Amino acid sequence: MNVPAPTPEIQLRTSPHFHTSRSVSMIMRNVVYALLPICAFSVWLFGISALASLAAGAASCVLTEYVACRMAGRPASVGDFSAVITGLLLALTLPPGFPLWMTAVGGVIAVGLGKMLFGGLGFNVFNPALVGRAFLQAAFPIAITTYTPAMAVNRFVEFIPATLTLPFTRPPELAEWIQRVRVDAFSSATPLMMQKFDHVTTEVLPLFLGKVAGSAGETSAGLILLCGAYLIVRKFMDWRIPAAMLSSAFLVGAAFHLAAPAQYPNPLFVLFSGGLMLGAMFMATDMVASPVTPLGVWIYGALMGLITVVIRFLGGLPEGVMYAILLGNAVSPMIDNLTQPRIYGARKKEKAKA
Amino acid sequence: MAHVHGQELPASTAENMEAFFNGLWNQNPVFVQVLGMCPTLAVTNSVRNALAMGLATTFVLVCSNTLISMVRKLVPKQVRIATYILIIATFVTIVDYLIKAISIPVYKALGAFIALIVVNCIILGRAEAYASKNPVGKSMLDGLGMGLGFAFALTCLGGVREILGAGSFLGIHLFGANFQPWVLFLLPPGGFLTLAAWLLIFSSWKARPRKKAEALEEIAA
Amino acid sequence: MSATTQSPKSPARKPPATETASSVKMIRLMGSVSLICGLLIVTTYRGTLAPIQRNQEIIMKETVAELLPGVERQVVYGVQPAGGITVLKNLDYAGPRLFAGYDASGALLGVVLEASDRGYADVIRTMYAYSPSKQAITGFKVVELKETPGLGDKITSDPAFLANFRHLDVRLNADGTSTAHPVTTVKQGTKKNPWEVDAISGATISSRAVGRALDKSTRDLLPIVNRHLGRIEKGE
Repeated sequence: MNVPAPTPEIQLRTSPHFHTSRSVSMIMRNVVYALLPICAFSVWLFGISALASLAAGAASCVLTEYVACRMAGRPASVGDFSAVITGLLLALTLPPGFPLWMTAVGGVIAVGLGKMLFGGLGFNVFNPALVGRAFLQAAFPIAITTYTPAMAVNRFVEFIPATLTLPFTRPPELAEWIQRVRVDAFSSATPLMMQKFDHVTTEVLPLFLGKVAGSAGETSAGLILLCGAYLIVRKFMDWRIPAAMLSSAFLVGAAFHLAAPAQYPNPLFVLFSGGLMLGAMFMATDMVASPVTPLGVWIYGALMGLITVVIRFLGGLPEGVMYAILLGNAVSPMIDNLTQPRIYGARKKEKAKA
Repeated sequence: MAHVHGQELPASTAENMEAFFNGLWNQNPVFVQVLGMCPTLAVTNSVRNALAMGLATTFVLVCSNTLISMVRKLVPKQVRIATYILIIATFVTIVDYLIKAISIPVYKALGAFIALIVVNCIILGRAEAYASKNPVGKSMLDGLGMGLGFAFALTCLGGVREILGAGSFLGIHLFGANFQPWVLFLLPPGGFLTLAAWLLIFSSWKARPRKKAEALEEIAA
Repeated sequence: MSATTQSPKSPARKPPATETASSVKMIRLMGSVSLICGLLIVTTYRGTLAPIQRNQEIIMKETVAELLPGVERQVVYGVQPAGGITVLKNLDYAGPRLFAGYDASGALLGVVLEASDRGYADVIRTMYAYSPSKQAITGFKVVELKETPGLGDKITSDPAFLANFRHLDVRLNADGTSTAHPVTTVKQGTKKNPWEVDAISGATISSRAVGRALDKSTRDLLPIVNRHLGRIEKGE
């Protein structure tokens, strides 16, 4: 799980020495494997537009990383798959019909601003995919909140009209198109929007299966859980982070629900709706941007769960996972500082004084 | 205040030009000294606001530098800062009335930032570092150079932010109705990003001659 | 000069006599600088007073003319805390203001009032035209807002939203103490009653702020307008 640090010429380490066959590119490759089912599901749900969006995200990230490495005069780090993951994650958090040129802008910002400017993989302060998404959210607030219904007719032969918007131009209005392709019982409003603005709570089962509107890869909580479990079982991911984040979101959501059941949805809805599952499994667990101490990891996860629910319930936006994770990333060095373990054999400060 | 007692020769044209261009370019308050960040980030979401703020600051700088330079030999050291602030605050109040008289929409857009010119560190900085030690003519030119340098930098930021954020320049639409504005650039984070990009461009441009010289040295070695 | 520009290294040895002398000098200098500054400010204030008032009047007049098409003459009233009204000569007035507009024949076209409430980013200030004969809001304009460009600022341009205010029912209740129905903002497409405001989807917070502002203003001010309607109609 080591993060690559700049290699000094001679390395001195005290024993014990472990040998591990895990390299960065191997971990990253497994994360890609874990993401592939989610990508496939989003393509099945939203059609070729989702596929094009995933391709645009991955391509722009890889290209940016390549160019940035060339400009910095460093060997290209494209082979370690991390840029591909950033691109896929970015596309999975965007609406399926998001204009491709905007996705590409997001990819350039994610890798350029979120990662390479800090010094590349291992030095990024924030999860790069979310840096890209935060930029897009602030730059194009309308496009990023324009969702289209799942299971539209012709989704495998026809692009969502907004997808192919020319660069620097406004995506077309989708209301008419949605009326034409919509299949009954599939709304273009996301469950979170329906909850926030109309106080309609979606049932848990559709959220678990994922046949609802939303960002391309966030809809099926069940599938994301499954793919995350693969990484946890193979020990490529710290299970404490999603556990802490999800349980804290659940508990805070339950507290709100108990205090005012009419106003706030039940905690299971909180858990399975929106990007919480995808964020907790694949973005909060960014190895570089999360704390390293076991206690720190619990604090970090709990904090993100709390912020997510607070933004959803008390803020102006329907979804808060992105900002919660970015804030968690921002404080994770401080959490690390506060939770340094005692060196074995050293006494606690108070005792030493006495 | 060592050379206050020195005799005053009329400054040469070259010296005057230097006092002027120093602020405009070599010691640009925003791009080189990185001073006055508050208005730089807050009111540059359109070229009109940036220009208005730049020119208002220029007015205050020129007037305060001139007056401070005029009274510099009379002001006791102990109360100099108080005197400078009194003079600066006067001109800020004046500019506040003037902008209101010229255009109410501009006044509303700049809001509290007009009154906050008084705490712009560029102004007190020039008073203390330059006007209190130099003759009136040069102090005035220094204020003009610094002020216009500030206005130039603000307009650079405002230009990028307005073009990307609204698709227009000085309110004139550039790209037709289909242009997708990048709302981010009208918001505060856009100010930081644009400033960072300009600082990058400016410092790499200024570093170029040095790099060339280094390369030549290497070849010579 | 030499007394005041002493090197700061030797303040302890400074003779007391010099100190008082320099204090007097300091006070004298600060006094004269203040005097000059005061003169400068007063001169500017006197010089810009007229243009500033003219600017404010022009903006107000234009807004009123926009909200009451065909207006020829305007009279501004200030609402006193006790509920009375007085004709204002000067727009500077701390309380609520009523801008009455009359057509060429001198008949009252309507009254323009101000309404404001907190939006998403900052206070949204609006003006609206009230027609006493129709008992309805007949025009609406946002005069100041800092809402998110592209989202909240749709309240200034969205045609469907602005259509709400071509005829928004604000009739008074039976005893004339308040409006009969509060102005309420409803979700887009669910407007059923003439006193409801159809919100813009995607700009819900700003739309609701407009509804709240209008509700508060109509409830507080329209009873006063109606009580003094006779005076306002005559323009006195």
